Amino acid sequence: MGFLIDSLRSAVALVVSLDPEMMEIVWVSVKVSGTSTLIAGILGIPLGFAIAFNDFRGKQILITVLNTLLALPTVVIGLFVYAFISRRGVLGMLGLLYTQKAMVIGQVILILPVVTVFTIAAVSRIDERYRKTALTLGADAWQTALAVAREARFGLVAAVVAAFGRVIAEVGISMMLGGNAKGFTRTMTTAMALEYDKGQFTLAVALGIVLLTLAFGMNLLFHFFQGRSRF
Amino acid sequence: MILYRLSGVTKVYDKRTVVDIAEMTIEAGGRYALLGPNGAGKTTLLNILAFLDRPTAGAIDFESSPVDFSRKGLQTLRRRVVMVDQHPILFTRTVAQNVAYGLKIRRIPAKERKTRVAEALERVGMTAFSSAMAHRLSGGETQRVALARALAVSPSVLLCDEPTASVDAEHQSAILRILKEINEAKGISLIFTSHDRRQAAALANETIHLNQGRPASARQENVFAAVITSGRDGRAVCRIENGPRIALPYDGVSAIPRKVRIEIDSNLLLLVGPTEGSSSENRFPGRVIQATEEKGQIRCTVDIGVWIDLSLSEATYRKISPMIGDRVSVQVPADAVRLI
Repeated sequence: MGFLIDSLRSAVALVVSLDPEMMEIVWVSVKVSGTSTLIAGILGIPLGFAIAFNDFRGKQILITVLNTLLALPTVVIGLFVYAFISRRGVLGMLGLLYTQKAMVIGQVILILPVVTVFTIAAVSRIDERYRKTALTLGADAWQTALAVAREARFGLVAAVVAAFGRVIAEVGISMMLGGNAKGFTRTMTTAMALEYDKGQFTLAVALGIVLLTLAFGMNLLFHFFQGRSRF
Repeated sequence: MILYRLSGVTKVYDKRTVVDIAEMTIEAGGRYALLGPNGAGKTTLLNILAFLDRPTAGAIDFESSPVDFSRKGLQTLRRRVVMVDQHPILFTRTVAQNVAYGLKIRRIPAKERKTRVAEALERVGMTAFSSAMAHRLSGGETQRVALARALAVSPSVLLCDEPTASVDAEHQSAILRILKEINEAKGISLIFTSHDRRQAAALANETIHLNQGRPASARQENVFAAVITSGRDGRAVCRIENGPRIALPYDGVSAIPRKVRIEIDSNLLLLVGPTEGSSSENRFPGRVIQATEEKGQIRCTVDIGVWIDLSLSEATYRKISPMIGDRVSVQVPADAVRLI
């Protein structure tokens, strides 16, 4: 018990002192996860809109498949992407393995269904009259989508927050595709796993505190934004 | 000038034809009412006229040019035709931002936008609400802001779906006045749906009756669900649900009840004193509910178990001159009843 308390005390000191090694790991995590979330948002939000707005054969099956993909284990994605970008893979010549780009590819695959499904849910909940109103007032397809997106903004922000929360906390993809190289592909979660293996908990606990604070901060920001917007 | 010409226009949902119009023309600058009961296809037709919905079949000419149903073609037309919903929805912004929406997407400069928003709000009497959050308005205020939002873009045609259905009496009269004013002052063609014959008569200068998606030749009134049975003397008897039994002029109707809809011609009904010939066939006692003057005729509504409208000449009405609440009888000639 004393050991745990000592680790926690040292970890807090590490966080408060903004330890350079810790900050480097945090930066890599935020950079990779932020990029993944941005790309998934750019692809997933329009995709969600397209699925929600259009009626086509197999729409329900597609939504069911996307819902199933929400539960996709990170190690499966890691393995799948590895098969393509490893030296023997079809994209091996690009030299992506054990790079931040590889991590981003895997993470985008992980959270694209999250953003898409959340967007479909957010847009479907929006009253159909918003779309009709925009159209009758002369809006084109893009302007109509923007008007609906504005009404669905809380749902869309929730989609992005959920996606970021999912990637910042994942370990399988980062480990398998990033390789946990110090200062380059070492993220908060892979570093925590490594420190645990080494039996050194101080940095692991410090990173855990940062991770939780980050998640809490994101949600706090979202709720603040929601509260301000609703007056 | 002919604004719309519809030829063979149908709209089918789930194998059910909800609009079926062989020919229809609507003149520019007029005030048209699409009148009919619920499910008559009024809103669907209005959506087609607003270019928000495509017909399943048929052709539409707008200002003598065939309508191009491509996405781009429809958007061009929508910039000239605006529809206001029965229950309009406002964007979660301020009232002024809502009214400015159509102008903003047309890239109208900010200065002109501000002037036109102010004008539109003034016209509907909502200037004081300009900076209020739109979702905090009452039903009547929302309807007026929705009207202002439509008027701000200066459309050629304004389509209103049941414009007063969701507002109180005070807002109803204001909205009807505004609609009449914009038609007369700005020459905006007005087409609105209603199931209220009186409202249609008060506002429209042309009324198109719709029944089951088709234009009906006569006004649809005194329409009841009924069951046809065989009377004691073998003649057909029509029993209106929760209402009177009317003997019909023909024999040979099967004894098995048959559900129908009937229409009773208000022009053929007779208003008689409460005790006058009370044992006569098809004479039903009742109470006067309301009486209004409408285009030279007196329209009298009598409760005979169901509310029935009578269209009487002034001279006929004056013979009895019943007050509201007075007891009277209504004589229903058998030939006034028509099976739909």
